[in-house]
Amino acid sequence: MDLRKPSGWFFTLLGALLVITGVASPEARAPLTQVNINLYTGLSTLAFGGILLWLAHRAS
Amino acid sequence: MTLATVDYLIFAVYFVFVLGIGWVLKRKVSTSEDFLTSGRSVPVWITSLAFVAANLGALELIGMCASGAKYGIMTSHFYWVGAIPAMVFMGVFMMPFYYGSRARSVPEYLKLRFDEKTRGVNAISFAIMTILASGISMYALGLVFQLVLGWSFTASVLLSAAIVLAYTLLGGLTSAIYNEVLQFFLIVVGFAPLAILSVSKAGGWSGMKQRLDPVMTSSWRYMGHASENPMGVDVFSMMAGLGFVLSFGYWCTNFLVVQRAMAAESMSGARRTPLIGAFPKMLLPLIVILPGVAAVALSKMGVGYALPRKGDGFDYDQVLMTLMAQFYPSGLLGVGLTGLMASFMSGMAGNVTAFNTVWTYDIYQGYIRKNAPDSHYLWVGRMTTIVGVLLSIGAAYLATLYNNIMDLLQLVFGFVNAPLFATFLLGMFWKRATANGAFSGILSGTAAATLTHGLTMAEGKGGWIATIQTFPSTMAQNFWIAIFAFSVCFVVTMLVSALTRPKPIEELRGLVWGATEMPKTGDLPWHEKPWVLGVIVLAACLVLNIIFW
Repeated sequence: MDLRKPSGWFFTLLGALLVITGVASPEARAPLTQVNINLYTGLSTLAFGGILLWLAHRAS
Repeated sequence: MTLATVDYLIFAVYFVFVLGIGWVLKRKVSTSEDFLTSGRSVPVWITSLAFVAANLGALELIGMCASGAKYGIMTSHFYWVGAIPAMVFMGVFMMPFYYGSRARSVPEYLKLRFDEKTRGVNAISFAIMTILASGISMYALGLVFQLVLGWSFTASVLLSAAIVLAYTLLGGLTSAIYNEVLQFFLIVVGFAPLAILSVSKAGGWSGMKQRLDPVMTSSWRYMGHASENPMGVDVFSMMAGLGFVLSFGYWCTNFLVVQRAMAAESMSGARRTPLIGAFPKMLLPLIVILPGVAAVALSKMGVGYALPRKGDGFDYDQVLMTLMAQFYPSGLLGVGLTGLMASFMSGMAGNVTAFNTVWTYDIYQGYIRKNAPDSHYLWVGRMTTIVGVLLSIGAAYLATLYNNIMDLLQLVFGFVNAPLFATFLLGMFWKRATANGAFSGILSGTAAATLTHGLTMAEGKGGWIATIQTFPSTMAQNFWIAIFAFSVCFVVTMLVSALTRPKPIEELRGLVWGATEMPKTGDLPWHEKPWVLGVIVLAACLVLNIIFW
């Protein structure tokens, strides 16, 4: 098993969940946070998952 | 703290993936070595991250954030002094003997190099230590989830233990290691945003420097004398006690981490495991310690954050959770808590997989049933995995009922561990060291550790024989216990070895410096040469120390 594949899918899915949360409720804030942190973390996680999948794809 | 549907969804997705990885890897297990040692087949990038993750338990995350708030950036010594140099030493100098000897475990190496009784002491004390460690971290995790989320202690302990059991039982060490990598990434994804948000809210590093007492933002400047810094340690006990004895003793001889490197697919991979792992390891303080330091700065800014209190003082262990509550909205909160759960699982799976290997090969095959077919040991390995998890749960409940007993047990087994690095150092680099030398060294080193604890006092601890010295902190006391234990073990091993007959040189091939052909690295590209990587790691670590001087 190429671990990059399942972990790539995991982080893609996780990132998508966060992006959806960030888009669906853009005003959701914790007491000390001023930015839409769900959206930004979601996009970075999505990119990370994508890179893992791309690396796995390139190797196979 | 209340969770929304999306947070539970994230927990669920994580559980599905870790169990799925175990399920897929089930097919790879057909012998006891597949199950217990991964059949030496894991790629190096995976063993490297697992090497770091197995040590990155939930207690570590909570404790490092707490220490960051209590002691400031000095806490990073536990990484930059207390881990990195030892990891380099392990990869460059010690791995050729562990991997080259074909031993399946660290205690088995001791048997090959010395004898049965030396192996026995190490195997039995290690097996008990791993169960204690995983029980205690299970207890801590259950408490956190009970306190913060109102989940039942029993339910969270049993659920997390059941999941760890399921995936380690399915795919053995390979499954534990593969999941550790996933867990490592998840910890970073879950905690890095907290570091970024809390540090920027506190005005960045320069803003924190302005708001905090300088001792909180300097790692070395106040190390000259124990009374100048909140840890109560001076530069000598820090370097010798933490940076040498404790750190090398842990990273170079503890089977929990060594096992990850030994699972690598080649000698070169095994040597590079701790060296490559050192890069993420040295950056971890930025994620796990900085939020704790930032919390103190935030509490002085009047932005609505206050350090959690307990009685008259602060409850530093709660700092991490209060930060998450203040900075993470639903969604990211789920990722952060899943990251915490993941760190707990990686630590526990590390303990369980090390325990089942030592029990099966060193205790069961060593003393109970020597010559059974391999399928029998595979079965024993699987059963031991179940028993190990059950014992950990028992230890977690023991901790809820008798916290003092657990503290005492950890203290006692710490004494057995304290001198060990001297045994390995002499065993690997001095042909003349003998089995009786090593054994009497371990016994007298343990005795020296116990005596030091009985004769010195710190924060009301120790001094049960008499008090001839008082330390400013238990940390300083621990460092000195380690220094004495190591020195006594070293000297006694040498003296007794000089008086007893060494093993003939033919029996030491592959086990000792000077009787072993070191692996050739001349043909490797530069980024695969252990010494080149080691130099780069040490230089990078030096730069970090200078930045946070």
